[in-house]
Amino acid sequence: MTSGRLSQPDRLLPAVSLVIVVAGFLCSPLVSGRPLESFDVYNALQGFAQLGLLALAIGLTMIAGEFDLSVVGTYALGGILAVEAGQSSPFLGVLVAVAAGAAIGAMQGGLIARLRIPSLPVTLATYIALLGLTYTMSGGLSTTYRNSDVTLWVDQTVADVFSPRSLLTLAAFLGAAVVLGFTKLGRELRAVGGDRRASRVAGVSVDRRLIGIFTVSGTLAALGGALLSYSYASANPDPGLQPLILAAVAALLGGVSLTGGRGAPLGLLAGTLSVALLAQIVAITALPDFSTQLLYACLLAVIVAIESPGLHQAVDRLRAGRAMTTRRWGSGVRTSGAAASAGQHPRRAAHPKEKEDDHDRGDDHRS
Amino acid sequence: MSGSATVGPLDADVWVEGLSRSFNGVAAVRDVSFAVGAGEIHALCGHNGAGKSTVVKLLSGQLAPDAGRIVLRGEAVDFRSRQAAQRSGVALVDQELSVIPALTVLENMLLGDIHVPFVNRRRWAAADCRRILDDMGLGHISPDQPLSALSIGERQLVEIAKALSQKARLVILDEPTATLSDVETEHVFSAIRRVAGLGCSVIFVSHRLSEVLALCDTVTVLRDGRSVATTPARDLTVDELIVQMLGAAPRRLTATRAWDPAHAPALRIEHLHVPGRLSDFTLTASAGRVYALAGQLGSGASDVLRALAGLHPKATGVVELHGRPLPFRDPVRVARAGLAFVSNDRKSEGLFLGTSVARNLVATRLPRLARAGVVQSRLERRTALALAEQSGLPEGRLDDDVLALSGGNQQKVFVGRCLGGGDVWALLLDEPTRGVDVGGRAEIHRLLREAADHGLVVIFASTELDELLELGDVIVTMRDGRVVNRYEGAVDEALLMRDMTHGVDAP
Repeated sequence: MTSGRLSQPDRLLPAVSLVIVVAGFLCSPLVSGRPLESFDVYNALQGFAQLGLLALAIGLTMIAGEFDLSVVGTYALGGILAVEAGQSSPFLGVLVAVAAGAAIGAMQGGLIARLRIPSLPVTLATYIALLGLTYTMSGGLSTTYRNSDVTLWVDQTVADVFSPRSLLTLAAFLGAAVVLGFTKLGRELRAVGGDRRASRVAGVSVDRRLIGIFTVSGTLAALGGALLSYSYASANPDPGLQPLILAAVAALLGGVSLTGGRGAPLGLLAGTLSVALLAQIVAITALPDFSTQLLYACLLAVIVAIESPGLHQAVDRLRAGRAMTTRRWGSGVRTSGAAASAGQHPRRAAHPKEKEDDHDRGDDHRS
Repeated sequence: MSGSATVGPLDADVWVEGLSRSFNGVAAVRDVSFAVGAGEIHALCGHNGAGKSTVVKLLSGQLAPDAGRIVLRGEAVDFRSRQAAQRSGVALVDQELSVIPALTVLENMLLGDIHVPFVNRRRWAAADCRRILDDMGLGHISPDQPLSALSIGERQLVEIAKALSQKARLVILDEPTATLSDVETEHVFSAIRRVAGLGCSVIFVSHRLSEVLALCDTVTVLRDGRSVATTPARDLTVDELIVQMLGAAPRRLTATRAWDPAHAPALRIEHLHVPGRLSDFTLTASAGRVYALAGQLGSGASDVLRALAGLHPKATGVVELHGRPLPFRDPVRVARAGLAFVSNDRKSEGLFLGTSVARNLVATRLPRLARAGVVQSRLERRTALALAEQSGLPEGRLDDDVLALSGGNQQKVFVGRCLGGGDVWALLLDEPTRGVDVGGRAEIHRLLREAADHGLVVIFASTELDELLELGDVIVTMRDGRVVNRYEGAVDEALLMRDMTHGVDAP
């Protein structure tokens, strides 16, 4: 099974996307004409810090088979609360932001789990309501953060390439990886995302897990917003949809499935790093801004194509058709030999992927 | 069952008294009482709609009773959730496959088990899992394999192994063997006997009556939501059990049809080959006869049907339907050529569960019910009515969701959908009566026989000996992806069983 590890999509997709982007990053001097510096890596990691907690929040809810649209709203609210409450003590600001994010997440999770409402309308409503709230709080204008010591501190360089902000973001990913990888929570979360009815029958407290994951998602989003506003020394009442879209791209590149049940924090980490590095490549090579979007689209297309069952089936069909033509004209020795060897242990010899294709309609069957 | 018995039978581990539950005013279970001793294997029998599944849901914490009580080891319990039942030591194999394809085999085994620690101890758990899998005859499966790579039967075995390994006081198995072959069933039975030997009570729900009598100590029969009788299994025969369940013995089908020279060969299959699944399958089938493919899970029997239906993209070979090459490897073109396939998984590959019976019946023939792309509702209604009558479905249920129907009636909808079009030439069925009660089974067999009489080629794959012998005019036995033998009459259960389990290369 060791050889099969990497072929699983939740490992394969983030690995491929990270390899492509890192290769591009290393090749960027060919275009820019100047060698890479530690500053470039630092910048990429700053981009990662800006996006990371949001991507982690969305990715975790996606693993549980839900989608939290409200994270951008919580992100904005977290920023504003941190600025308002944290002028003297940044910790108090972060604490207030995180508490508000957790409360919003818990409320949404409660509605979704107990009333069995789909997450899309609930979180969409919360997103709109939170935008209204941030506008009311700020009057539609950016709120300035005056504690410049904090602003300098969160973005200072640590070990040439890191900053406290990117280190904190990294720590959140590693923390999530440890909790999901080494406790039964990870298993239960993916079970809830994979098949909710079966999870209930198996004895998983589905409701509690859902409330928990939305609370975590709200907390992470608010923390991300708070750190960003400290870094920019101002909070924006409406960050737009760009952060949400990039976070979703990061989650998909990270091997998280839209149907739920698949994905891991380390994959999300690789996906988010891919997005951040790609933006940095565009900056280094001084390509026009719009090319970032095109590159994201291309990378996503490659990743989606790798795992598409339709592509696998088309290839199989093509091969079978070719095999038949050669058999019709050839002596048939080759095919009969293959048949004999395959016939010995058909069940063991059967390729796992092929079985998966057979049953994939069954897997998607969820209430 | 009045108030006289306020204390349960002393030796009973599980004691159910006066259990009742209704849905929307319709009673599903009324005043059901029975007791299961420690180490006893207790069967719940009854034909579809008798209330077995509801009793199982009440006992496993998925539903709360309206009245009555459940006593576990002298203590009245009130389960509000599956977790509560699990804490009291009730393990369940649900009627529907309840393992999660997105997780690995090991992760599925650990899921929901209250004895599993919060922090994973992988090595310890993997060793345990290895032993459990070996006991269940799954030596070829690794604990780290994703469940989605396993066949349906293997997934079912994993779920059973999981429930039996949870060190429970009571294990409930609801139709555990419906998707299993006879060899696999034998593994399951010895595992059940093993846990019962350790003092665990077992409740076993099944439609396969001979299995029930072979495995269980006691049989409680439910009919129309009431418990009719509780009898020691050794005092019962299958026929007596059927009488208890139905109130009368069902009609048996007529004997095998001989080959009629008036019918020319209709479906010619030559050298059908599916890599890793099926090698060199050849069969010439004529219209008007029923062909049975007899084989356990993995024998290739259902792969023949799936390949013909266009669901194995890697299949090779030559197939002709009434002299024209069949474009197999493409499900849509196969269906257009007049070949209808009834999958063994009617829930995910067959019916639209949340849609009405009428809609399901006409789902495959919408283009012919439409004028300029708009479905003519009157024509649709008339067609649905005709099909419902032909397939023996109660007319009053046409507007019900398929989900609300019993397994037998759901299967009738699935089969009925393929009938009576005038454009279907061959009918392929994979396990046509899986999860269907005795009465429903006879009706489906009658439907298939009628379809053959109307000039269709009917080919079905099955693992049930009774069904093969009752329905098949020609029986082809298969094992390990190859044909073992071909019979036309003059065959018995023992012969079939030997072919299916030992094959040609047995000494």
